[in-house]
Amino acid sequence: MDAVEKANTARQKRWVKDRKVGEGTYAVVYQGREASTSRKVAIKKIKVGQFKDGLDMSAIREVKYLRELHHQNVIELLDVFSSKTNLNLVLEFLDSDLEMIIQDRSLVFLPADIKAWMAMTLRGLEFCHRNFMLHRDLKPNNLLIASDGQLKIADFGLARDFADPGHKMTCQVITRWYRPPELLFGCRYYSSAVDIWSVGCIFAELMLRTPYLPGESDMDQLKTIFRALGTPTEEDWPGHTKLPDYVPVGQFPRTPLRDLFTAASGDTLNLLSRFLVYEPRRRINARDALNHAYFFALPHPSHPSKLPKPAAQTSRPLEELDGNVDIASAGPGVKAVAPNKLKRKLTSPDGTDLRPLARRLDFTQHVKRS
Amino acid sequence: MAADKAADLQTNLNSLTVKRPLYEGSTQYKSWRYSPEQLEQVRTSLNAAAVAVIRDTFEADEPGSSEDVLFLNANEEQLLVKLYITKVPQLCGHFRFPEEVEATAISYLKRFYLKNTVMDWHPKNVMLTALFLATKTTNNPISLESYTSNIPKTSSSDVLDLEFLVSQSLNFEFAVWHAHRALWGIWLDLQSLPDVPEDLRPQDIYDIAIKHVRASRFTDAELIYTPSQIALASLTLASPVLAEKWADLKAVAGAAQPLSATLDPTLELIKYIIMQMGHPPDVEAVREVDRRLKLCKNPEKVPGSKAYIARQAAEHRRAEEKRNKKAEDVRRAGTDGGNPFGSELNEDEKAKQLAELDDDDD
Repeated sequence: MDAVEKANTARQKRWVKDRKVGEGTYAVVYQGREASTSRKVAIKKIKVGQFKDGLDMSAIREVKYLRELHHQNVIELLDVFSSKTNLNLVLEFLDSDLEMIIQDRSLVFLPADIKAWMAMTLRGLEFCHRNFMLHRDLKPNNLLIASDGQLKIADFGLARDFADPGHKMTCQVITRWYRPPELLFGCRYYSSAVDIWSVGCIFAELMLRTPYLPGESDMDQLKTIFRALGTPTEEDWPGHTKLPDYVPVGQFPRTPLRDLFTAASGDTLNLLSRFLVYEPRRRINARDALNHAYFFALPHPSHPSKLPKPAAQTSRPLEELDGNVDIASAGPGVKAVAPNKLKRKLTSPDGTDLRPLARRLDFTQHVKRS
Repeated sequence: MAADKAADLQTNLNSLTVKRPLYEGSTQYKSWRYSPEQLEQVRTSLNAAAVAVIRDTFEADEPGSSEDVLFLNANEEQLLVKLYITKVPQLCGHFRFPEEVEATAISYLKRFYLKNTVMDWHPKNVMLTALFLATKTTNNPISLESYTSNIPKTSSSDVLDLEFLVSQSLNFEFAVWHAHRALWGIWLDLQSLPDVPEDLRPQDIYDIAIKHVRASRFTDAELIYTPSQIALASLTLASPVLAEKWADLKAVAGAAQPLSATLDPTLELIKYIIMQMGHPPDVEAVREVDRRLKLCKNPEKVPGSKAYIARQAAEHRRAEEKRNKKAEDVRRAGTDGGNPFGSELNEDEKAKQLAELDDDDD
């Protein structure tokens, strides 16, 4: 066997697939572990054989960028190997994502919790942008949460390098609800500001506990944005009416953010409004956002380990599987679920009723501070 | 080992305390940097190992048959690879690929032959695969069909069959930083220097410098030096004055000597490499190497040969064994999977469980 093949086989042997945890059109995801240490990992097996053009672009992008990026708030690619016609990415194992946490009605978010998630998101994103890379698909379910509470940006299947000036890029990127108006207007020259808009939408969603700008179609998305933030004028956003897909979608007045985010502090609203600036060049960048007064004002961000974690509902189906598969060898990962579950029961005995309480808590915090 | 650990620890400490250039976080910095001596050593030992393996294969096929074979040495391998490196720009011109694609494909080709021998994999095929892969990794994809239909006598399997092997050899490290980008950055910097008016930096200086950068791609420079070092050396060849002005601009205040003086020895070496080796190889010499390659290439890689058939059979056997083992595992899971409560498994669950075991087909 050739040296290169041997090295590949050696890599393959380092990792054990334990059970399937998800399946999409392009990939199957397994939970697995490192054979020598039992460290829990996720193995994403991409079926390459089915692509007529060989390795597909999203797999290539993911591998290319994750190979280069090493940061506490970016998911770690531990290894890559191929098996027959499949490409296998070994990723660090992360229990949950921000979407699950937002949707878990039994969890109460303190302003300090939201600040911690925002800080971690921006640190990861600032690192991507510093490395000349656009993510182009930020949304809560691509922000994964490790068992120690650290947030990690994941899914680099749409990522790309910054384009040179004058080089066209596709505007069909970013999940609709998180897509900035310039892309909806068909702008083919854009910057890291597109990711920042998504961060703004995520920030709002963390406070509202529901998607902030849920448009039903691309056209409706623009309407939804303008209804929330007011239709931009030429002064707000010079030249936007000249963008390729510009269409007037009606005049909506600008309503103060304060009307919707009743419990938020002044700093919070100021930062939110800087993320959601129409003119991409005036939108705040990741580095400046990290230096925004919001992050220096009280309350300090929660320590990652103290952040709300979802009840074990997502791991439950896995546990049911465990019973059938003999590899449920009660590794450290499996045990880790139980105390969480217990804690969840202690803090929220009756689940769904806590939402009003969350609002109330936010409010008192705000009043206390101002 | 202990020394490694200590070094690692030191690196970790440094990363916490010292602000390090972004470039040092790249896989290019971590995995693809060599000293000239290391390069030489990697190539010689790779060549020796390859010759030993192929000799054994010859002997296994027919004892004594390897005695008269004149195997290629490391330099001859290099010469052949270099010829195909020089073909990449021609092909890219034909397709009008951006320079990024061209430069990346060339880097892939060089890196590939730091892990493989031309006696196993002919650079003609590897070059086609590396170029196709580079179109994708640099975000300039074209369909395989339009790629192969524009290259005579090339089928899609010629390109795709080696894609995994090339990717593995690259260690799946697809990102490459190039000197032409660095040169462009320097050129932009120069435009903002107060004491460099426009007449001091005519366009043809840039044009000459970029020619030197392109010539450097035919050499080992990128495996030894950083993109910005190569770019600055190329600019020095075009205009020493401008290069010095730029270097001094970048100098740290209070340094003992101007940066241009510190850089000089490195730049001299790069200039030497570019001027001495930055051109296509002598075609006659390469033709001779290629002729000999026909006689000494690994018979295991030549379809139809005895060794090839033997290898195929061995692989077949291994796959068969693996399948049997898997079937056995599945059967066992089916019969005593839930033991002693196996009988309580309902049929759906059992089917699901089997499907899962079965699906993992590596």
